[in-house]
Amino acid sequence: MNPEEWSDALRQLTGITGVLGALIISADDGLVVAETAIDELATADVAALAAALVSRAARCTAAMRSAVPSSIHLLAEQGAVLAVAGPPPLWLVAVARHDAELGRLRLLLRDFAGALR
Amino acid sequence: MALAGLGHYPSVADAHDLLARIRADQGDDAAAIAAWHAALECDPAHVGARKGLAFVAFRARDFTTAERQLELAAMHAPHDATVMVALDRVRSVQPGAVAEDVPRLTDPASGLLLYDMQGMRLAGGVGDDGDETLADAVAAEGAGLTREAARLTRLLGLGRTRHFLVETADARIAMIPVADDAALLLHRGAAIPIGRLLALAGRAAQAADEWLERMR
Repeated sequence: MNPEEWSDALRQLTGITGVLGALIISADDGLVVAETAIDELATADVAALAAALVSRAARCTAAMRSAVPSSIHLLAEQGAVLAVAGPPPLWLVAVARHDAELGRLRLLLRDFAGALR
Repeated sequence: MALAGLGHYPSVADAHDLLARIRADQGDDAAAIAAWHAALECDPAHVGARKGLAFVAFRARDFTTAERQLELAAMHAPHDATVMVALDRVRSVQPGAVAEDVPRLTDPASGLLLYDMQGMRLAGGVGDDGDETLADAVAAEGAGLTREAARLTRLLGLGRTRHFLVETADARIAMIPVADDAALLLHRGAAIPIGRLLALAGRAAQAADEWLERMR
């Protein structure tokens, strides 16, 4: 998948009703690699916070003697953050309203994250 | 012969597994269980021992334990069809409902862990055999995870955390905040459907909330 295809994948993700933004981040440093989002979404903040959460989740699964996280899904009262691991250190992240089609979003994220190269 | 083999190779899990199978065939479930636990001490990922423990539990109609052992087996062998078939069988014969209708909060081997925001374990555990050191370590990390999730939702204006899921190649983990100062982790094998995991976690969180009220 080249950068143009990345952008196309991100646009498909944000085409799902209720999805506010989708971005590819580097989990190592919490920086945005590529993004498509509404103006109100602070994508730099999303990247940093999602990377921190992935790091915390990895520490937790390591303590459980489990494998490294392949996806995370945070649901809050007014929104959700879903992220799926791509080739290290990339993660594909989406921010959505809480009433978005989260099941469909999760499947698409998995499809696209697997194709990130 | 099996006993002689064990005498020579006491740290080989398969030798304990073989002895356990013989004991189970002889109807001596207590000895079989002891031998399978010995196999797990040698090799915590020994799927045969998990399946054996599930078998004797199933035979004793302890479906909850049977299901839990098979879920632990599935964590180590997520693509083992025999484990999946056995899981389906155990779940299909349970009267009325799934085995986990009643959350076993205080059981250290239940895969349910309740902790406070200082990272102290309040009840339960996540290890295969009620390992308290492991449970304490997970409680400490779990509190950090819960705080990080709260930080993200606060800074992005998403409101309070309802739940947080983590998927790995061998497990699915749900975290749900309980009251204002505690959270619950539910740890299951990768075979469990996400919706069922969330339903179980929600029920366990409710039980944890009531448990905390009684403790205060």
